[in-house]
Amino acid sequence: MKYYITLTLTLLIFCAVASGILAYVNSLTSPIIADRKAQEEIATRALLIPGAEFTEHKAKADTNFVYYVASKDSTVVGYTFIATGTGYAGPVKTMVGLDKDLKVITIKVTDQAETPGLGANCTKEDFPERFKGRAEAELMVDKDIGPTGIKSLTGATITTRAIANSIRGQILMLKADLDTAGETL
Amino acid sequence: MSFIKELSKGIVKENPIFVIVLGMCPTLAVSTSVQNALGMGLAATFVLMCSNMIISLIKDITPEKIRIPIYIVVIAAFVTIVDMAMAAYVPDLHKSLGIFIPLIVVNCIILGRAEAFASKNNILNSLADAIGMGAGFTLSLTVVATIREILGNGTWLNIQVLPKTYQPMLVAILAPGAFITLGFLMALINLIKERR
Repeated sequence: MKYYITLTLTLLIFCAVASGILAYVNSLTSPIIADRKAQEEIATRALLIPGAEFTEHKAKADTNFVYYVASKDSTVVGYTFIATGTGYAGPVKTMVGLDKDLKVITIKVTDQAETPGLGANCTKEDFPERFKGRAEAELMVDKDIGPTGIKSLTGATITTRAIANSIRGQILMLKADLDTAGETL
Repeated sequence: MSFIKELSKGIVKENPIFVIVLGMCPTLAVSTSVQNALGMGLAATFVLMCSNMIISLIKDITPEKIRIPIYIVVIAAFVTIVDMAMAAYVPDLHKSLGIFIPLIVVNCIILGRAEAFASKNNILNSLADAIGMGAGFTLSLTVVATIREILGNGTWLNIQVLPKTYQPMLVAILAPGAFITLGFLMALINLIKERR
């Protein structure tokens, strides 16, 4: 009996020391990580709609949905938000810039773990071109709605579809929120 | 003398990938690009060095019956430290390695060396063993990744090495390409060994 108590206590001490060290390292690194993420988002927003000022809005129906209203000289010029879809190898996060008519200005894939050479090509410079100028109804891949759709990446329709569908879903939410908010914006 | 011996054995004679055939999961998954291979190799080497040293240090106070949970606690703690440090200081690499960093915990090279070597040897030799095994792992991973990245993407470390007109051999960077490349390399190493 005593032997088992010794074993349990030994393991407990090891775990306690390990958690103590981890808590310390976490307290050092977590502010840096949070800061870097925030910086990245600010930089990307400025890239999507250059020269605009952004104000944060939380959707009334669903406070998890956060979007930013871009304005120049106090007139609304567009909106940005983050869309997350499930790709081939996990979540694909895209930052989207819309003009005031809710058409895509440009997008930037910020987080993905897709196959290099296939799905990972969504981070290449020519990829956002495929989305430019499209409204909500036109954000479908060519495999789903034919040649007028977004041209899928070679061998990575799943990735392209995940991005297109996630953006479409977010635009619908944005639309709904703008309708309920009415002229208050 | 034994320090040098322990250091060099991991690179060729007891190469963790091609000879002991440990750590296949990260080898197959991360060798799609040289950058990922180097990142994974160095991160795993760092964890291996730390865990080997600590495990060698505590081998006299580690009760035989609960040694495996203790090794796992030590290894998991170091992996989490590497994960947090990389997210804070090298976010790009952290992003591209993604899910594979937490997977270092279950990289059997690390637990294998803890059980087979560090728990029976002194700190200095355990460190040498870790550096050697880590170097062997990184080197092998880089060789596999070099072949796959050049054939499958026409680049090496993101530098275009084949002409732009080269049509990438996509199978090389997909999962089957990893098995085929690994198989050919192992065959080559066995051939060299037999010739000697």
